[in-house]
Amino acid sequence: MNIIINILSMTVPFSVALLLASLGEMFNQRSGVFNLGCEGIMAMGAFVGMLIPFSIGGGGAVAAGWNYLGILLAAVVGALLGLFFGVVVVTFRAPQGIAGIGLQMFGVGTAGTLFRHFVGGTQSIPGLSSNPIPFLSDIPIVGRIFFSHNIIVYLAFLFVPVAWYILQKTSWGLEVRACGTYPRAADSMGINVNRIRYEALAVGGALAGLAGAYLSVCQIKMFSDELIAGRGFIAVALVYFGHWKPVRIMLGALLFSFTQTIQYNVQGLGINIPYEFFVMLPYVVVVVVLAFTSKNQTTSPAALGKPFNREIRT
Amino acid sequence: MKRLFLALVVLVASCAVVFAGGSSETATSSDEGQYKVALIIENTIDDRGWCQAMHEGIQGAIEQLPGKIHYEYSERMTTVDSESIARQYIADGFDLIIAHGSQYRNMVSDLASEFPDVSFAFGTSSDIIADNVFTYMPESEETGYLSGLIAGMLTKANNVGLVGPVDSGDAARYNRGFILGVQAVNPDAKVNVAYTGSFSDYVRSGELATTQILAGADVLTGSSQQAIGALRACAEYPDVLWLGQDLAQLDTPEGQAKCVAASAYNYTAVVVGLIESLDEGVKGGVCIPMNFNNDGFVFDYNPALESVVTDEIRATVDEAIASFRAAPGVLANWADVQI
Repeated sequence: MNIIINILSMTVPFSVALLLASLGEMFNQRSGVFNLGCEGIMAMGAFVGMLIPFSIGGGGAVAAGWNYLGILLAAVVGALLGLFFGVVVVTFRAPQGIAGIGLQMFGVGTAGTLFRHFVGGTQSIPGLSSNPIPFLSDIPIVGRIFFSHNIIVYLAFLFVPVAWYILQKTSWGLEVRACGTYPRAADSMGINVNRIRYEALAVGGALAGLAGAYLSVCQIKMFSDELIAGRGFIAVALVYFGHWKPVRIMLGALLFSFTQTIQYNVQGLGINIPYEFFVMLPYVVVVVVLAFTSKNQTTSPAALGKPFNREIRT
Repeated sequence: MKRLFLALVVLVASCAVVFAGGSSETATSSDEGQYKVALIIENTIDDRGWCQAMHEGIQGAIEQLPGKIHYEYSERMTTVDSESIARQYIADGFDLIIAHGSQYRNMVSDLASEFPDVSFAFGTSSDIIADNVFTYMPESEETGYLSGLIAGMLTKANNVGLVGPVDSGDAARYNRGFILGVQAVNPDAKVNVAYTGSFSDYVRSGELATTQILAGADVLTGSSQQAIGALRACAEYPDVLWLGQDLAQLDTPEGQAKCVAASAYNYTAVVVGLIESLDEGVKGGVCIPMNFNNDGFVFDYNPALESVVTDEIRATVDEAIASFRAAPGVLANWADVQI
């Protein structure tokens, strides 16, 4: 029983970075832009997030406010990178796949270079500590699984219904979906497609930056060049996995982390199976589930990946 | 639009000016009797692990052999990119190219046959692949054994965690030596061995360490640069201790708080040996083992945690080190350990 509680209590915080990044990518893709540069934005977010508390405390303890400021600035930098990506793919209408890979390289490379310049070698910070919710965290089993984490974990999961509400119940969400589904119709209705796509990219970038900062400030509490290690690409895959729906994306992030945590635990049981099998297990599970659920792709944005040019009829 | 382009160009140019930096450690030009040595690494020279150890080893060799070595390095070289930079070094007249990682084996093998006058070195490997290729093999079962002795004597829960990258090379030797060490002093202790599948995924190693701690482990160790993430995770738990595979870990705040002792590779001895071989006209075809017997390893305790190191632990470790120094191959049975 204890091992199950351990697995579940780790699944929740380990899924947060993927959840935030994939929700951000969902906004991008719902507006018609897919951003493979998510990894790069996460790297920049991770760097900026840790830079603030590190600069203040020199690696020592700082007031929690500095950590929050770092996380906030990471979101701002992420939004700016999202807008930069918008310049390339919305204004200049560059191929989104290629531009995304370029942004990924730019983000990872710039974060590493700036880190070397301003910080030096691999460096840790005290980071944010847990904030167990009074009373709720005392509930047996449930309290440890859901209510004994840091505040970003709670906010990330609370953002899931908020993201759904924004997409489905607000006029801005309707405009985003329209731009991703049939931008010419949206344009004819007076919606500025490019502006909406810029806004969606800013939101997506901010969430990716937040995801990176979560890793460096809340989870591992350190930064290194290789910190993100492909999680940005997993986040993009989770958007497809979740059929561009916030709740499904959350379930995908939880499934990936759940499988990851299971394989961590099972490796320690000494079962005579090559460890490589366990290491690849989370990816295999996601691919298998993706394969079985990809038949119903009715929610995929029809204009995803297609640049919009109001001067050209397509 | 032109203004935007102009602004972008100015921004990129500014970044290039501000952040551009050479990787040459000595400014002297190549003189008679001086060897040009290049290092190619997958991570960075300050990763507090594998790459930093070799970089510091070469710097140590430069101090030991003043004026003898002109040194340059290239960081974050993937296996695919490494050949390009190696060819550049060859074109620049470098005498010795150290490709620090067994992943560079094929690149070294190809270039060694194409450029027989250039010496290469790579590790970890004990294979002899060409007359102009040196290999080096840390016999890390010795350092793992020391960590295992301490872990076995420190654990109160009889539950020890090991966060490995992959089960190969020196990591495989370290892990098996660690298990032998734990079993030698505490046969009742359980050793949880698990792998991240990566040498540099700090987040995953932190998650793995957290998993092991929640499963009851109170002393952990780990190998390769990814172990820093596991050490950082240990710092979140007051009753958990760590044993390091690199002395650089002791310099970190979490290392100061958690790392009882650490071993490290003394690559200075290896590099000095390579230079001496070149002096003698030997360009390769030799495997250099690294062990306590030839000063290939160093070991030290963390002064900040001396209180947890009992006299019994010190005596046991000293005895083991003395046996390693007396003769190589004391733990020849390391490969028999099943994980």
